[in-house]
Amino acid sequence: MKGRVLLLAGAAALGAIAFSGDRFWLQFLGKAMIGCILAISLDLLVGFTGLVSLAHSAFFGLSAYALAGLTNGLGWSNPLVTLPLCLLAAAAAALLIGWLSLRATGVYFIMVTLAFTQMLFYLFNDAPALGGSDGLYVQDRPISSRTASYVLIWCALLLVYVLLSRILRAPYGRVLEGIRGNEQRMRSLGYPTRRYKLVAFVIASALAGLAGYLDATLYGFVNPAQLGWRQSGLVLVTVLLGGKGTLYGPALGALLLAFIEHYGERVTEHWNALIAALVIAVVLFLPRGLAGLFQRSARV
Amino acid sequence: MSEALLEARGLTRRFGALAAVNGVSIAFEEGRVHALIGPNGAGKSTFLNLLSGELRATSGEVRLRGEDVTQATPDRLSRLGIGRTYQTANLFPELSCSGCVWLAAQSRLRTSMVFLRPAERYAEVGQRAARALQACGLSARGGDIAGQLSYGEQRQLEIAMTLATEPALLLLDEPLAGLGPDEAERVVDLIRQVARGRTVILVEHDMEAVFSIADAVTVLVDGRVLETGSPQQVRQSAAVREAYLGEEIP
Repeated sequence: MKGRVLLLAGAAALGAIAFSGDRFWLQFLGKAMIGCILAISLDLLVGFTGLVSLAHSAFFGLSAYALAGLTNGLGWSNPLVTLPLCLLAAAAAALLIGWLSLRATGVYFIMVTLAFTQMLFYLFNDAPALGGSDGLYVQDRPISSRTASYVLIWCALLLVYVLLSRILRAPYGRVLEGIRGNEQRMRSLGYPTRRYKLVAFVIASALAGLAGYLDATLYGFVNPAQLGWRQSGLVLVTVLLGGKGTLYGPALGALLLAFIEHYGERVTEHWNALIAALVIAVVLFLPRGLAGLFQRSARV
Repeated sequence: MSEALLEARGLTRRFGALAAVNGVSIAFEEGRVHALIGPNGAGKSTFLNLLSGELRATSGEVRLRGEDVTQATPDRLSRLGIGRTYQTANLFPELSCSGCVWLAAQSRLRTSMVFLRPAERYAEVGQRAARALQACGLSARGGDIAGQLSYGEQRQLEIAMTLATEPALLLLDEPLAGLGPDEAERVVDLIRQVARGRTVILVEHDMEAVFSIADAVTVLVDGRVLETGSPQQVRQSAAVREAYLGEEIP
């Protein structure tokens, strides 16, 4: 299929950049691909399950802070140890926050996730032991080579994409689609829907934690702003811009936003206005997002 | 008298001061079609929602094969063999007909928490879904989007989805509501067909259909049981005629 060829070509091109060794591009595209992981993992919730969460950045930040804690406090930096531990931390937090938040539905669910995110933001922002508003350096990064970090991020993105595509084709993915379409009916068909939503929340949040881990590895620095709800909002915008419920759309959206941010900054310091204009244009003229440009009548 | 598959005992549901269902006791016997009739506001739909777990009873109890299921959730009751349809077509409007029935059929897997194996490898789910579509005369419409079917076909699909969960007991909430005569006839035939080997509780306003399908009829008025009996008895009952004052019973 043409779409698959395009995706593979894009992935190969991103991978090839690793050989360039160019400082700027490795850092820039590494960051952009971390944005892709965040966006496609949120798409599992927003696009496929119908759950709009504003807590996505919280798990990104928790995992990044977990890494800072492990390296600075315990002197552990080996990625084979720290990566699983940081993902586990994000997943455990998601289990608790999701279990509580999913007692609410619709707009109340959004508000509860927002509240948890802000709680965590102020916790890290106001506690000097946790770095306060300045954040923390990761004193001993799990991977110090920029190229190696880039390759790791690239592998992670491919893996997350393949994993989510698989999940969506499996019985579990069908259940999520059903929940998005008509949750009450799913219940009367015998599915304990809250349990399924909680698992989706934990999977997506653990993947957000993966993005946070990679970010802290790439930059060697974490700060509370990464945890705040504005970041969650930005990921949500990315998903909508790219086209929710498609996986590749949000990834595309993340890449596009990274470029706009970078080049927009040169044109005007009000580059955020450019993004706002783009979002408005997409919502008005491309209700299915950028992905809508590639779809005729194809359905997942 | 055969054994009761499902039994309501003194079932009551209040909304504020209103007792929509008020101390209703009915035994639904295995393998029969038991119709619930009554004027608007008699509590029929509320009663059905209590049986399917969508509403909580204020008091009283529901027993399924003797087990107390009064507090059971809809998903648990579905897994225990109670399937239901709704007054207005309650589908997955964006999915194809096959997709809708597939979801219903897949619910009978031991678990759907399967993350890596592609769904289409579950041949038994596909077969169950196809059988249900076929039983409801929708085999040719499998690829069509559910939300774009005619109203009558949506009712058929609704029943197909419920059949795909292989229920022992089927709750049908006004399956004929809003259908034209031809469509209604088709759905009546369908109900007759699915009633073979199953227990059915049928809430319906169409008296002609009720009396032609049902083995037993209960009349509800103001949340209470007015009378239970064979269609013949109920048709001739003076009390029932009075409750339906002005309305004609064929």
